[in-house]
Amino acid sequence: MGVSRKTLAREQNQTAYLFLLPWLIGFFCLTAGPMLGSLYLSMTKYNLLSPPSWIGMDNYVQIITNDSTFTGSLWLTFKYVFISVPLRLAFALLVAMALNKGIRALGIYRTIYYIPSLLGGSVAIAIVWRQIFDGTGVVNKALAWIGIKGPSWIAHPDYIVYTIVTLSVWQFGSAMVIFLAGLKQIPADLYEASQVDGARKWNQFISITLPILTPVIFFNLIMSIIHSFQAFTPAFVIGDGRGGPLDATMFYTLYLYLKGFSFFDMGYASALAWIMLLIIGVLTAIIFITSKYWVFYGDNKDGR
Amino acid sequence: MKRRILFSMLAALMVIVTACSGGTGAGGATSGTNGEGKTDGTGNGSGGTGQEQVELRIMWWGDQGRADRTNQVLELFQKKYPNIKVQGEFAPSSGYFDKLNTQLASGTPADVFFLGGNVVDYANKGVLLELDPYVGSELDLTDMDESMVEYGTLGGKLLHISAGANARGILINTKLFEQAGIPVPQDGWSWDDYAGISKDISEKLGDGVYGTYNFTVDGMDIGLKQNGAQLYNMTEGKPGFTEEQALSWFKYWEATTAGGGVVTPELAVSNPPSDPSKSLIITGKVAMSLIPSNQFAAYQGLTEDPLTMVQLPRGPKGTGVVFESSQGLSGYAKTEHPKEVAMLINFFINDPEAAKVLGNDRGVPVTSKNREALQAEASDADRIVYDYTSRVSEATKTEPFAVSYNPPGFAEFSKLAETTVQEIGFGRKKVEQAVADFYNGTLQIFAKNQ
Repeated sequence: MGVSRKTLAREQNQTAYLFLLPWLIGFFCLTAGPMLGSLYLSMTKYNLLSPPSWIGMDNYVQIITNDSTFTGSLWLTFKYVFISVPLRLAFALLVAMALNKGIRALGIYRTIYYIPSLLGGSVAIAIVWRQIFDGTGVVNKALAWIGIKGPSWIAHPDYIVYTIVTLSVWQFGSAMVIFLAGLKQIPADLYEASQVDGARKWNQFISITLPILTPVIFFNLIMSIIHSFQAFTPAFVIGDGRGGPLDATMFYTLYLYLKGFSFFDMGYASALAWIMLLIIGVLTAIIFITSKYWVFYGDNKDGR
Repeated sequence: MKRRILFSMLAALMVIVTACSGGTGAGGATSGTNGEGKTDGTGNGSGGTGQEQVELRIMWWGDQGRADRTNQVLELFQKKYPNIKVQGEFAPSSGYFDKLNTQLASGTPADVFFLGGNVVDYANKGVLLELDPYVGSELDLTDMDESMVEYGTLGGKLLHISAGANARGILINTKLFEQAGIPVPQDGWSWDDYAGISKDISEKLGDGVYGTYNFTVDGMDIGLKQNGAQLYNMTEGKPGFTEEQALSWFKYWEATTAGGGVVTPELAVSNPPSDPSKSLIITGKVAMSLIPSNQFAAYQGLTEDPLTMVQLPRGPKGTGVVFESSQGLSGYAKTEHPKEVAMLINFFINDPEAAKVLGNDRGVPVTSKNREALQAEASDADRIVYDYTSRVSEATKTEPFAVSYNPPGFAEFSKLAETTVQEIGFGRKKVEQAVADFYNGTLQIFAKNQ
């Protein structure tokens, strides 16, 4: 019995590895090499065109002690992540709950609301966004009707980041689809039982919907945070592509890109990339650690 | 059984790993054959009529109009030299150099690419093809202006062939002057005149119309030259200006802005003066701006308002403007076909058919024959440009100025200058503080990129 079980496990492992093979190959051939390469480059002075020269930790020291653009772009990126991620998730949940009311033609709505997620990261949409939020764009024309003179949303350093946040929130589709699937999993009898006990909609939402959805929220949260940290296209296209005006669109990834490809400082850019990896890693770890206090897995408990 | 599976998996992994690294191997093989092609080409003599097929790539920046013209020239070239196939690539100016840098880093740039005043950055890094061996055979420079050949000679080597010359000047929308009842300014005006006229236009034409764009950054080198300084001293490898000199230039623009008459910083961000299609000059919202003369036709093509060009206001030493290379062609140092590269560059500057197609899009032709041929059948817009550039040439006879290249690390430098202007414009820093930070940053960038 024990022996055959062992064999079975090993065979299953082998099958698993066989299926993992394509990913492993991709990782070792395409990802691991460049990552190690960039780790090496981050400790060199490398202007792209001449061979790199070793300078040890100088790039890291310079970044941390003497680079105001680094601090500025990090602060901006955090601001963007912490505003856009909660907004996007809240919006996605709201729409998912509206769609979960059992309306007709759900498939069509689901598709339509999902489309922005597919398009939202593209250059074309970012250009459309520029037009909409321009000083004489649609938004300001609408505001003018109700007597408000709107600023130029894409040109003033105080506002431009919010234009980019709205673009990110608008891409709520993929989070919505996952929420929708999660909502469908919630057994209807829980609602019925609580209704009999006199619970209101709000109480149901707080005490039933949210707790059961926590694994889905957890997943969406991690994916959104990682994705938002890497936001590049909207900042590149809605801003001037150089982080302007006044570094108000200087997202971390854009700064990294400019340093590497425009300013001939690939070693420095590699160091920036590793710092970003570290930050995202730490943040994800924090969410994972805290998750045991707020994420509820039905199958871990004794079940209903 | 288990062992066999494990073994076959390992084998599969190995095959694929070698296939991955085979990618580079295959690349090496290809370049090997190309190398062969090159030696064959040399063996076949100078006419380029050999049987060996050669493929070149060329890259430039610009709009669709420029792309159409350039592709047409490439077709003419391929008709003349059937054994050379040329593949054109282009990008808008904003992303062009990032693309070029990436390709250079990976060793896959075009064989021929266009560069502007930043040619120094590339010459310093040794990625440009030395063209001296081809002068007199594939590359004919007998008809080219001496100053232009000098311009492309960096560190004693010919690395760059100018594809057109221009002179910067003030673009004027004359319709706005007419509406405001102000006479169109003439050469020889002063910076006080400029500030005063800008203010008058804004005041007379009211809300949303401005006298001038803020060209603190684009005009900085001119402003410095007018005061006997320069951005960067190439021979000594250090900045050619002091913090005080920079401060007085920034202060002039701050005062002119405070007086009214300069486009607001927000509008300058959403309608940058560098992009003719977005410029407020063509929508009749701004009366004056600084442009390179080869862009004049593009501006005039986008508006009905009659435009014209006037020399820059004068400083203590004159206008500070010279008739100089606007952009030009360079070869990639490691190209497989240096001889054909020289032939292609030669075609761009010497062929009369090509000159006709290209027109003044990249500047006035650099060879006298082509210049005369184009002048003979110039359009109205072209005539304004010829008239303007000849006035500049005339002026520099009595008031010569050195031709200037972009300082090293130009992309980073211009980003810093742009940010400084915005810090002042959006009221984030006092002008003294902003310029002090700018000067410090400039010193660092120059030092780092030498």
